[in-house]
Amino acid sequence: MGNILLKTESLSKSFSSGGVLQHVLKNIDLQLYEGDFTVIMGASGAGKSTLLYALSGMDTPSLGTILFDGQVISDYSSDALAVFRRKSCGFVFQQIYLIDGMSVMDNVLAAGLLVNRDKKALIARAKELFRAVDIPEEAWRKFPAQLSGGEAQRVGIVRALINSPRILFADEPTGALNSKTGLDVLDTLTRFNSQGQSVVMVTHDMRSARRGNRILYLKDGAVLGECDLGKYVHGDRSRHEKLSAFLEEMGW
Amino acid sequence: MRKCFLIAASNLRRAKGQTVAIVALMLFASAMLNLWLMLSMDYKRNFDRYHDKLNAEHVTLMLGSRSSDVLAFARDTLEQDGRVVQYCMEDVLCTVGSFAYNGGEMNTEFVILEKESALERQVGKVEIVEEGDCTSGVYLPMLYGMNGNIAVGETIDLTIGGNTVSYTVCGFLNSVMAGSHNCSLCAFLLTEDCYAELEEKGYAPASTLVSVRIGDKSESEDFEAALKNAVSAGFPEVRTRSNSYALVSSSRYISQMICSGIVSAMAFFVTVIALVVIASNVMNYIQENMRNLGALKAIGYRSREIVASLLMQFLGVVLLTALGGIGLSYCLFPAVNVMMVAQTGIPYEIHFLSLPFCVSLGIVGGAVALAVWLSARRIRKIDPVIALRQGVLTHNFKQNHVPLERTRLPLQPALALKTTFSRAKQNVTTCITMLVLSLVVVFAGLMVENVIVDMEPFIHLIVGETADSCVNVNVSAEDAFLALMEEEKAVEKVYLYHSVEVAHGDREGNILMCMLSDDFSTVNNQDVCFEGRFPRYDNEVAIAGKYAGEKKLEIGDEITLAAEGQEGRYVICGFTQISNNLGKDCLMTRSGFERMGKLGDVSYYLNMAEGEDIDAFHERVRSGLGKDVNAVIDVYSTVHGAASVYVSLMEIIVAAVLAVGGAVVVFVLYLLVRTLLNSKKRDYGILKALGFTTGQLVLQTAASFLPAVVLSAAAGLTVCAAIINPLTALFLRGIGIVKCTFTVPLGWIAAAGAGMILFTFGASCLLSLRIRRIAPVTLLRGEV
Repeated sequence: MGNILLKTESLSKSFSSGGVLQHVLKNIDLQLYEGDFTVIMGASGAGKSTLLYALSGMDTPSLGTILFDGQVISDYSSDALAVFRRKSCGFVFQQIYLIDGMSVMDNVLAAGLLVNRDKKALIARAKELFRAVDIPEEAWRKFPAQLSGGEAQRVGIVRALINSPRILFADEPTGALNSKTGLDVLDTLTRFNSQGQSVVMVTHDMRSARRGNRILYLKDGAVLGECDLGKYVHGDRSRHEKLSAFLEEMGW
Repeated sequence: MRKCFLIAASNLRRAKGQTVAIVALMLFASAMLNLWLMLSMDYKRNFDRYHDKLNAEHVTLMLGSRSSDVLAFARDTLEQDGRVVQYCMEDVLCTVGSFAYNGGEMNTEFVILEKESALERQVGKVEIVEEGDCTSGVYLPMLYGMNGNIAVGETIDLTIGGNTVSYTVCGFLNSVMAGSHNCSLCAFLLTEDCYAELEEKGYAPASTLVSVRIGDKSESEDFEAALKNAVSAGFPEVRTRSNSYALVSSSRYISQMICSGIVSAMAFFVTVIALVVIASNVMNYIQENMRNLGALKAIGYRSREIVASLLMQFLGVVLLTALGGIGLSYCLFPAVNVMMVAQTGIPYEIHFLSLPFCVSLGIVGGAVALAVWLSARRIRKIDPVIALRQGVLTHNFKQNHVPLERTRLPLQPALALKTTFSRAKQNVTTCITMLVLSLVVVFAGLMVENVIVDMEPFIHLIVGETADSCVNVNVSAEDAFLALMEEEKAVEKVYLYHSVEVAHGDREGNILMCMLSDDFSTVNNQDVCFEGRFPRYDNEVAIAGKYAGEKKLEIGDEITLAAEGQEGRYVICGFTQISNNLGKDCLMTRSGFERMGKLGDVSYYLNMAEGEDIDAFHERVRSGLGKDVNAVIDVYSTVHGAASVYVSLMEIIVAAVLAVGGAVVVFVLYLLVRTLLNSKKRDYGILKALGFTTGQLVLQTAASFLPAVVLSAAAGLTVCAAIINPLTALFLRGIGIVKCTFTVPLGWIAAAGAGMILFTFGASCLLSLRIRRIAPVTLLRGEV
């Protein structure tokens, strides 16, 4: 188990909807470790995505504290959170969210140049990452709409990793992809995790969840249980059985 | 129809902010349009209404005589002329006079009538527009009572024939043909006792006022020339002054013409900007609602129904707004009217004008319908399937502007430039707006530099020749006068500058104001002759450029001029511009004029030494030459007093155009920024999620406008600085100005350019602050 990277204390998040206050996250105490591939699972409406947004500094909690590397980030201003996100986090979205008007390379460099002014080094890293995720060179100067869904999501992963973030957040990264391309994306994430990249992924897909070494199960805004699957080993049937049993226990 | 209405209503609900901005632009555009139409279609017609109401004359001839021979000759001439419908002759007192006005001195030709007889005149009636309860005193033209200058009950000193007399101001009058110093004859009424006293003192020569109505008013100038030439030929010694319907109806409406021109320009530019904004809105609507349009088409809506709904949406908003704008124009009209009446001197009653109303609505409605229809034609080509895919096939992937991989620009400017290059419509609208603002700024700078701060260039252009003083003496005393001036230390320069009237004999007998000098190289304003040169020899004449253009006369042509019954042939050596006689003037040497007739009196212009008391100087001249001095005029005060009306008008116009220009720019920017933020909301959400701060995105957005702003401001200011003088001359062509020589304030323009750029950048930053509301989490929740 690595060092504590992210920690929450009594984390709560409430939304007002139609005059009714809904408590989506309730007093969550949680620790995420460096190098882990943490998977957050749960039924729809359990608060998985809300927890991810809060952990990643996309959203601020209603109550409680979030600490990143020992620093309290939950009381940061929106600009300070933006700086935190650009320096420390990478994001892979379900809807991919590449900028349509920019080429593939520009999508990646726009994120990279925010942190790193050494353009040559940045371009070299982008190319290295493109090759690592199997994006052919002729696609680098294409526009997102000219890519397949799988290619676009792998570009999303390159963009997320361009600044070598301390932690990579992935929100249902295979949700909008077909089975084959989804598998490619998972392979990519697994490979980077095996190289030491910390990953936190929200999913409700068992096949995706199997890639994680630590599974957190959310129910009604609280962590109901967690399961340690150990490091991912390709073709290891026992992980599947262990995860199935855990989820069954959680009422999945 | 109902389907179209439903779509239109739904669009309006979703685009409240843009609708409000379009409403603001169209409100102003239609207000300016209607104001312009009211000024141009009805304001000058007011002159005709009063002309008819007061049975005013078409030609006024003032004869400096009451001799029965002269009057019989004039009566016979009128009786024998078939053009004459009605005329009357009346005993008056007439001479050059002056009084303190508007911080200066007003010098004009006083036509003094006895009040009761003036009110009973059959031709050229005078009406009293304001009256106190005093029974002895003077009635002045109403123009001089405007803006709190002179009030009823005050005592006024009038200098008449070199003598000062004091009267109580009993009231103000309206005379169509003699109600202002712009009419060349200015009517003053004296109560019976005052009139008798003045007549007895003999300060003003006993004269006869001949007022003539003719059948066809378009012949007024020809008739004036014929009548005046006939009298001058018969009685060369009789002093005459005259005016005509054509001259007075133009000269009393100079400020109306200027104001109407400026309002029309503002209306035109704001309407164009509003149309560009509407067209761009329609195109953005199509782009942003591609999927909805596809859905509408998929469920059976036809293209023309969708286009009709857009027409209904915009026309409904714009026509309702235009009604409000027309109402606004009626709210603004009283203020404009006060400015106008201060120059025309003719009362104007504001009333509803149906023709401008219909034309304004028609222009606004037609232009908007055309703009919407042209920009919505694309809807026909939209295939439902492609539209449902959000127009993927319509996107242009040909070029990745400013690739980050290759550009040397830092990230923020590079991203701003990407936005700039990808938004052609935004750039076109920005450019048009900045070009309009450039014109406004250059015009304002020109007016501030040449009219408001220093009115000398304006006076030089409009008045022609100016000096500190003018002394009119009898020719018999000319040598004595010049000898006196030799000894006078207060005088720096003295030169002959005398005005006479000559008739352009071979072409319809037009009367030209002819300025005489012994040597035109000594006159102060060397810009009067804008092409060719001043006359040097006695067979040369420099003629008004406007008049020469109308008569197709060229430099080198020979023309016949007539004065005092004699004719002479003269070669045109140059073109002039003086607005005093609305572009009907000429210059010739004194010896040139004396080929036709002799001068009885001469006017000398004088430049005084710094700090000299001009009144004391005039006293010394009067005491030195006695009755040989016909008139002394404080030219500086007179000219500045008359010009101050225009300066006040210009101050208001400059403030108004700058305020309107600034407001239009802010409105347009608001629409552009709003459109940009709406269309890039998703991109901004992504960029915020990646770590861009609100400040970075605000600067990026504002900077995306900068290339178009900087380029169009630089180009606009350069072009406008180059064309502003010809454009102003075009504006003033009606009053005889052909070439405008105002100083173009390059420093002001450069500073204004920097100001425009800073202003637009600052305004875009402020308007872009809405980016604060875009949170990355809203993107992730699918709310963007």
